[in-house]
Amino acid sequence: MKTVNVILLAVCFLLPLKHFGEALPGNPHFSHRSNNRMVCIRGGNYHPFLQRKDQPDVVKIHPFMLDVNAVTNAEFLAFVKANPQWARSKIAQLFADAGYLKQWAGDFVIGGDKIDNSPVTNVSWFAANAYAKWKGKRLPTMAEWEYAASAAPVGMSKRARLTRIILAWYDHPNPVILPPVQSTYKNTYGLYDMHGLVWEWVDDFNSVGIQGDNSGTNVKSFFCAAGSLNSANKEDYAAFMRFAFRQGLQARYTIQSLGFRCAKDFFRN
Amino acid sequence: MKTPYTLFSLAAFAIMSCHDSHVIKSASCCAKDDAAVSSIISDKETNGNSVYQLPGTWTDQHENQLTLSKLQGHPQIVAMIFTHCTAVCPRIVEQMKAIRDSLPESVRNQVGGVLVSFDPDRDTPGQLRQYAAQRGLGNQWELLKGNADQVRELSMVLNARYQKLAGGNFSHTGNIYILDRAGNIVQAVDGLGGSVHNADAVLASLVVAHQEPSSGRPNEFYTGKIL
Repeated sequence: MKTVNVILLAVCFLLPLKHFGEALPGNPHFSHRSNNRMVCIRGGNYHPFLQRKDQPDVVKIHPFMLDVNAVTNAEFLAFVKANPQWARSKIAQLFADAGYLKQWAGDFVIGGDKIDNSPVTNVSWFAANAYAKWKGKRLPTMAEWEYAASAAPVGMSKRARLTRIILAWYDHPNPVILPPVQSTYKNTYGLYDMHGLVWEWVDDFNSVGIQGDNSGTNVKSFFCAAGSLNSANKEDYAAFMRFAFRQGLQARYTIQSLGFRCAKDFFRN
Repeated sequence: MKTPYTLFSLAAFAIMSCHDSHVIKSASCCAKDDAAVSSIISDKETNGNSVYQLPGTWTDQHENQLTLSKLQGHPQIVAMIFTHCTAVCPRIVEQMKAIRDSLPESVRNQVGGVLVSFDPDRDTPGQLRQYAAQRGLGNQWELLKGNADQVRELSMVLNARYQKLAGGNFSHTGNIYILDRAGNIVQAVDGLGGSVHNADAVLASLVVAHQEPSSGRPNEFYTGKIL
């Protein structure tokens, strides 16, 4: 078993090299602003924040690839240009609410260049999912995202520091112009801005908030559900807020502080 | 210690206040009023809200391959279930049957039932066929399986919530959705609530509105299958 792990780990470190190809000029999706390579997150055990009494308290995470940055406005523009049905004036109401890409100047114009390299926000789950598919990727699962985001910032060994970063971010109003990607911190996986820049869509955000609530928008029932579940770490208010946020979401919502990054299976590469 | 709670309340409030939190327009106030229901239909049938816009090919209990748009042309009663579910899903299915059975025969024959499986691994067409037989679901019912991506996407448009559990079962919400002929969600009913509310009246209005040419909609739009 140990040997297998060692081999997996070795492959995992070698594999990202292959993915530098994505940012090379030969690639049709190349953008000179894009440096969104992927890194491999080695598998391991994730302890779900919201634990059900009838479920194991550990979820096995298989090795997977994750974008180092959130997808930027410039990257998303390339997608919209190639798939005009996802343009602001074309998108079906089923797939996004009225705020979709409202920070842009037009269907195919971001406007100015201040936010080209900032995370794209005001995108629905459907739009994020379509972008990921177009890239040959997928959205990370909630367990994968939480697992990857729990890594400590480089140079800060204590988890408490991470919680402090998150809570300080929650505490401040969102800036009018979102800072570019890589403007917060890098974690030990080599991922940037997992906290502190934007919230991020996950594939299965609608697996939160099942108990006692069908609409998914009832805050009170979240608290009730939370009471009947066992939080892995009752001090972890930062995580509590992420899960509460996810419970309030519907897939067509667009929110000014909600973006995404893409993942990929490791074994299908 | 207080701050996160305050912030959470604010965040949650902001999310809810920024959005019309229900995709589903409940017709509960006016279901018996045909004119009001008709106006909901004519407002909605032409816009981009149809669930049938979702791409992907599904397989039914007869091993037919179909896109969701094949369900177009008749109002449908829809729910997501899995056949290994012993507690909740049978109740949802019984509730769906009760809604259909409460319709006058002429209306009932115009209304289809659709069960979509959460469980592509275990719910093979054969398993779905057997389930249909066990539950007495006749040829006006479609039992569908797709891949995991399709199931996730459908759950997203229906605003259903589910989670795959370690043993292979699913934890899920239990709504029943009433779709009009174009695939717009007209109503969601709690499949476990014991009451079907006015789902029968809503369905009846959907059928009646279609049969009256005075509603002013082009008939050629509805070219879906004949059940």
